[in-house]
Amino acid sequence: MATTACFIIVSRNDIPIYEAEVGSAVKKEDAAHQHQFILHAALDIVQDLAWTTSAMFLKATDRFNDLVVSVYVTAGHILNILMLLHDSRNEDGIKSFFQEVHELYIKILLNPLYLPGSRITSSHFDTKVRALARKYL
Amino acid sequence: MEPDVSMETCRIIRIAVLPTGGEIPADILRHYISMLSQFNTVDLSSISSFYVEHQKSPFAHQPWDSGSLLFKFVIGGESASAWEDFQSNRKILAVVGICHCPSCPDLGEVANDFAKECTDYKSSLVHRCFAFSPSDAQLEAGGNKENDLVLFPPSDRRSQELHMQTMLQDLAASLLMEFEKYVLRAESVGTILKTPLDSQAGFGSEEMIKAKKKRLGRAQKTIGDYCLLAASPLDANAHYTTGIELARLTGDVFWHAGALEGSACALLIDREDNRDPVIEEEVKYRYYNVIQLYRRSSVSDSAQRASTVRFELEAALKLARYLCRHELAKEVVELLMGAADCAKSLIDANDRLILFIEVARLFGTLGYQRKAAFFSRQVAQLYLQQDNTCASISAMKVLSMTAKAYHIESKGSSYKSSACSNESGSSHAEGGKLHPSSIVSLYESQWSTLQMVVLREILLSSVRAGDPLAAWSAAARLLRSYYPLITPVGQSGLASSLSNSAERLPSGIRCADSALPFIRLHSFPVHPSQADIIKRNPNNEGWWMGSAPSGPFIYTPFSKGSPNDSTKHEITWIVGEPIDVLVELANPCGFDLIVDSIYLSVQSGNFDPFPVSVNLPPNSAKVISLSGVPTKVGPVIIPGCTVHCFGVITEHLFKEVDNILHGAAQGLVLSDPFRCCGSGKLKTVSVPNISVVPPLPLLVSHVVGGDGAAVLYEGEIHNIRISIGNAGSVPVEQAHISLSGKNQDSVLSIADEALMSALPLKPGAQVTLPVTLKAWKLSLVDVDPNSGKNAFTSSARMSKDGSSPLLVFHYAGPSTYIASTEISGSSSSIPPGRRLIVPLHVCVQQGLRFVKARLLSMDIPARISENLPAPNKILEGSSNKEIPTTPTHQTDNSLMKIDPYKGSWGLRLLELELSNPTDVAFEVNVYVHLDKPKKPCNTVDTDEDLCCSRTRIDRDYSSRVLIPLEHFKLPVIDDSFFSKDHKVAGDDGSSILKQSKAELTASINNLISKIKVRWQSGRNSSGELNIKDAFQSALQSSVMDILLPDPLTFGFRLKSRVEEESSSKARLTKGAVFAHEMTGMEALIRNNTREMITMTLSITCRDIAGDNCIEGKKSTVLWSGVLSGVAIEVPPLQEITHSFSLYFLVPGEYTLLGAAVIDNATDILRARAHTISPDEPIFCRGSPFGVQVLGTA
Repeated sequence: MATTACFIIVSRNDIPIYEAEVGSAVKKEDAAHQHQFILHAALDIVQDLAWTTSAMFLKATDRFNDLVVSVYVTAGHILNILMLLHDSRNEDGIKSFFQEVHELYIKILLNPLYLPGSRITSSHFDTKVRALARKYL
Repeated sequence: MEPDVSMETCRIIRIAVLPTGGEIPADILRHYISMLSQFNTVDLSSISSFYVEHQKSPFAHQPWDSGSLLFKFVIGGESASAWEDFQSNRKILAVVGICHCPSCPDLGEVANDFAKECTDYKSSLVHRCFAFSPSDAQLEAGGNKENDLVLFPPSDRRSQELHMQTMLQDLAASLLMEFEKYVLRAESVGTILKTPLDSQAGFGSEEMIKAKKKRLGRAQKTIGDYCLLAASPLDANAHYTTGIELARLTGDVFWHAGALEGSACALLIDREDNRDPVIEEEVKYRYYNVIQLYRRSSVSDSAQRASTVRFELEAALKLARYLCRHELAKEVVELLMGAADCAKSLIDANDRLILFIEVARLFGTLGYQRKAAFFSRQVAQLYLQQDNTCASISAMKVLSMTAKAYHIESKGSSYKSSACSNESGSSHAEGGKLHPSSIVSLYESQWSTLQMVVLREILLSSVRAGDPLAAWSAAARLLRSYYPLITPVGQSGLASSLSNSAERLPSGIRCADSALPFIRLHSFPVHPSQADIIKRNPNNEGWWMGSAPSGPFIYTPFSKGSPNDSTKHEITWIVGEPIDVLVELANPCGFDLIVDSIYLSVQSGNFDPFPVSVNLPPNSAKVISLSGVPTKVGPVIIPGCTVHCFGVITEHLFKEVDNILHGAAQGLVLSDPFRCCGSGKLKTVSVPNISVVPPLPLLVSHVVGGDGAAVLYEGEIHNIRISIGNAGSVPVEQAHISLSGKNQDSVLSIADEALMSALPLKPGAQVTLPVTLKAWKLSLVDVDPNSGKNAFTSSARMSKDGSSPLLVFHYAGPSTYIASTEISGSSSSIPPGRRLIVPLHVCVQQGLRFVKARLLSMDIPARISENLPAPNKILEGSSNKEIPTTPTHQTDNSLMKIDPYKGSWGLRLLELELSNPTDVAFEVNVYVHLDKPKKPCNTVDTDEDLCCSRTRIDRDYSSRVLIPLEHFKLPVIDDSFFSKDHKVAGDDGSSILKQSKAELTASINNLISKIKVRWQSGRNSSGELNIKDAFQSALQSSVMDILLPDPLTFGFRLKSRVEEESSSKARLTKGAVFAHEMTGMEALIRNNTREMITMTLSITCRDIAGDNCIEGKKSTVLWSGVLSGVAIEVPPLQEITHSFSLYFLVPGEYTLLGAAVIDNATDILRARAHTISPDEPIFCRGSPFGVQVLGTA
């Protein structure tokens, strides 16, 4: 079954520092924009919601049409948000995916040459994230 | 669906507003409507005077004192809705016509037209036609007509508004009475109320009773609606409750929901909108029920889903609007997301549009800007699907509203935010280093994909909407910010859309958003005239002192701490003098960028920039110089450049580009536009504080005869004429000339009085200043002694190295310009002075080379004669210290004088050996400066230079020049020369030595300074050899011999004979001595000291072989008188004569010699004679005198 998934890491300044289309569905240029638009819009809700709960994984915080936004809020300096737009209902898979990506992200943060808040350009990270997406989503 | 629904919607009375009776100009219509629409609330208390109770009012609980009727004016009217039975507020209940009388003369016709138009609104109960500004005739005619025409006589706006309010109150009263009528009729007769849902479902006979109950319930609901419209919530609530009961019983779900909705509204109105949590809970509860009921109604009849879902959505939106507060955000979001999910089931595109607009608005109210932007974009997309201009304009407007959320605002629309970002930028620039995270926050707009999409949509919509400026702005933003993400083809496409848009724009239009190129400040090249502005201190006359580094240190710790240096570096510009600023342009795109004009944009308005045009090839950067002229005094602020490119004028700020570059350095911005064009990294240049000062004088200089370097031989003396002109517009009133740089002592004289006398130097005036230069001596390092030819090149290099002296002019204009500088508020009230530096370009070439100097002594015997100039004559003539041996009556200019009396015994000559390695011949002259004491007889000749004859030295030859040193002898030996020696003789040996040495050195220096060796070469180069050191070493040992005369001078002369001889013989005998004849002679002994000298004199005569011919066996000379062992005393400075006679036996050459042994010699004499021991006899010898003895035959 073709799934749609768009994964984005948003730094605390609301800047996307990593973005990837990880779904298996055939990619359309237009759709990719649409996914980012949805995720961008969902930030408003996520940022409100993140302060109301201590949970890191916030499932289905927002939705548009058939697409659902799930969010994993890391314990960043103020807020670092891993966001996933998806259409599958595999909640456990999404949660595991988030946790593993979080680990990867921490490894990136530990790199002394990485300026927190700047774009993640590591290809290794990209490969790993895509592998995780295939595994869990 | 309807836009802008809220809880209040149920109680608002709709009134159609129709313009009637011919065309009404748009602005007048707008004016009438704005007057009308401000009275959308009419208090019940105010209409009581118009209200007539015909029968008992059904609205028993109408709150006359607090209630009010709400109007909604539907401009242009609308077609009747199929749902108006279901919700009475959808009905058009009244029609207001608006008529502009001047455009419709016949009011009767207008009334007819209006009546006709009103027939379209079947539901309308009251009709009024407002006719504005009628003529007098119309007023008269209209006054007695029985129709709905209301005339508004022309008057001021205030009274017209009052009139209008009154008319609307009348209208409201009429409506209220109509409502009463309707309710009474509905209660008694009952009405058939249908919705589109019921249309197909006929009432079966078995359901007749149920249908009747349904009808009753629906009637109750409708009566409730009217009660709400009549602002009587309590009545409404009562009817709704009945309606709800009936609907529930009959299973009329849809009407049940409607009644419930109405009851919630009634509840709210009754409680005056106060936010009581209990009421809120109640309303929420009822509305959730309403939504449920609507959903149920549609589920029961899925075919009608499309039409009923809009009521469900409206209810959801109403509730969301009611709850729309931040604390309830979660609930509202749920409602709105639920509503948005339903969008797909809406068939009508318009409904979807309204839904999204409402959702976006509510999200915006909630503070969820990004959500709002998202839905706005959905709206825009829906608009764009409709293919007409109006929709495109709407799409463009909506999209530009989203721009803020996506951080792509046009600068024009976000002036405030950009101002605050400017602040942060400046603080960042000043702080120099910022915390990395705050740097990151400067580049918040990183959703580049989204931004590009939105910008592209704005561009598309504005092109479709026919707004070229918006299109230009969007394309410019797209191109400038996202060029790295756009393919070259896309970039060219954007460029062409920029030019296409510009074609449709008026020329010279400005846009807040800048496109290309990227411009950054490169540098402020300091114009030489600007570098030399010096602050004047009014209290300090010599303001030029200390302005140039005076000491040997380049860095002085004192100047560092002065307050001037603590500020940013400052630049002073002068009114009227053009300046340059270098900026770097970059075109990182793949097309040729033609900048029609670019010039500095100066906000302070006191600068006149000169535009230039530039052509930038693809992917290139260029540094260009922008110039201009300051026009007024005051600070100049240059925030950026104004660029006319792609047909639009834009402002490019340096700060923005600096931020981009900074971000690029951190990897936060997509790309550094300069780096990708191959331009190097540049340190961020901050705009210095620039101040403009009033016009100052400006001196320009040039060397008369060409500014090239003067090629001079070492020691050559050269005159340079420097022409100085005032190119400014202010006279020079103060000037000062000083020297700096290397080899300052080579400038012999500056005729600064020429400049001073020309002050004040008017604008345009010129002064010529002669300067005398003497070429300095090349240091040995630079000159290769073997190859004189190389000397030229090496010296040329040297002059480039800056060995030339610099002439520094400090000058200033009048100090009365104070008044104009007060504008700038600067503390210094005097305009600054300036400095002009004129390098005296001199190229020193090796000239005559000095080889060595030697001291030579020479003896030339004197001839004995009768008529020696008598030394006593001299003594008679002058009692002062005249050199006795020098004939005073003849002072010829020849240095080389053989003094026959003194003889030339012990003549000392300085021999200079000079070689000429150059290509030209030199002629050498030796000048001796004589400072003779005053002489009463011939004062003309005093203080004059004596010169020897010239010596010519050809190229590549050496030559020797002899300098006689006779003229330096002192007349008298006295103790003044040695006085100090004597005084301290007994004390300390070393100090004596030191002092005598110092004395010696001083006297040598004195001597040397009197001798000048000048040379001349060719026609106009002449100079002086600098060979003092050589002199000194040559003269060191024998200076005493040169300076001091012998203590005793011996002279011989023939005793004057009795003139008994014939005149013919007299010629022969004159000065001649004959053999075999007794010749009387006199020895003259002069004491040159100031003390009496006792001595033993002896006189000898030698023949040519040098043998003594007076004594011994072979003596050939006989004598009479005493010749040896004569004890005589010579008084000081006196002369005594000792007579004797000689008889020569053999003719030939003889030499007479006087000698003496001084008894009891003083220390001076001992010192002079260089004696070693004090008991050594001092022996004095005179110079020899030649005697030629002629034969008598």
